[in-house]
Amino acid sequence: MRVDVEEKVLSENDKLALGLRERYRKHKVFCVNLISSPGSGKTALLERTLEALPKTAKVALLTGDLQTENDARRLAKAGFPVKQITTGSTCHLDASMIIKALDDWDLDAIDILFVENVGNLVCPTSYDLGEHAKIVLLSVTEGEDKPLKYPAIFAISELCIINKIDLLPYVPFDLAQAIVNVRQVHPGMAVVETSCTKVQGLDAWMAWIERRRKQAMEA
Amino acid sequence: MPAMHELSIASTILDRAKAASEGNGGARVTKIGLRIGEISGVETDALTFGIEALSKDTPLQGVLLEIEFCKRKQRCTACAAEFEPEGFQAICPTCHGDQSECIAGKELDVMYFELEDPACA
Repeated sequence: MRVDVEEKVLSENDKLALGLRERYRKHKVFCVNLISSPGSGKTALLERTLEALPKTAKVALLTGDLQTENDARRLAKAGFPVKQITTGSTCHLDASMIIKALDDWDLDAIDILFVENVGNLVCPTSYDLGEHAKIVLLSVTEGEDKPLKYPAIFAISELCIINKIDLLPYVPFDLAQAIVNVRQVHPGMAVVETSCTKVQGLDAWMAWIERRRKQAMEA
Repeated sequence: MPAMHELSIASTILDRAKAASEGNGGARVTKIGLRIGEISGVETDALTFGIEALSKDTPLQGVLLEIEFCKRKQRCTACAAEFEPEGFQAICPTCHGDQSECIAGKELDVMYFELEDPACA
């Protein structure tokens, strides 16, 4: 006996993500989901981003890790609301974790919600968190062929940030080739080059957020 | 919670299979039909391992998987040609345009369950 079902395996997560997307629309929250390998500089990028924002900005952050509150502590220094999501041993954030974390937050008090995913280039690909855009980070201490090795996350993210560019003189990373690789996997993908220790490229990143947020709010 | 996301996906699939069995008088599920896209982010080997590991010593032990693999397919923005990118080179083979949208390859679907006919009780 054969029972046809034809449904998405992650339909539970997709339903929850749809609910989140609806809440973001209603409360005018712009949400981005930052994804990279461990150590590419997601937290550092967020630290610099928060420093560049006016103290009155309505920004909040969720940061995922397997263990520790370290990232939340780092990010809390800027004075914006931050919550750590510790996943135990789970290698990604899913929509139910976001819903739980947002439980006691007033979404009307948030214009931009940054979600820092667990450091992992594979698993977060499959989980919709209701975000407006996924953003993938790659740092120059990694290989420039990473987009070719992990194409799925580069194919579905809207923006690629190439971080730690201050280290370019000391590493064999071929920046031009990296961008070619990114765009092989994702034609026309927007790329921003940053250094979070020397504070370079932050303007382009902030401009991207503002432009993309306006676009999301008009949609 | 499992550390490999294929394990949590395997667990979701087995939950569905269990529900299908319960909805059909407890009939044993012998086969699960899946459709997995090239850029779904799921490794079929890891998923198969997850199904085997999590079904051990349960009524679903030994369940077979039939996996339909879907290649990534793009549609060219300029000329609307549909093509399968070669090794993630997403350049349109018809007009050489470099702008295209993904129309297939993200699938992660349960297609069907095959169940033994319920035992005559």
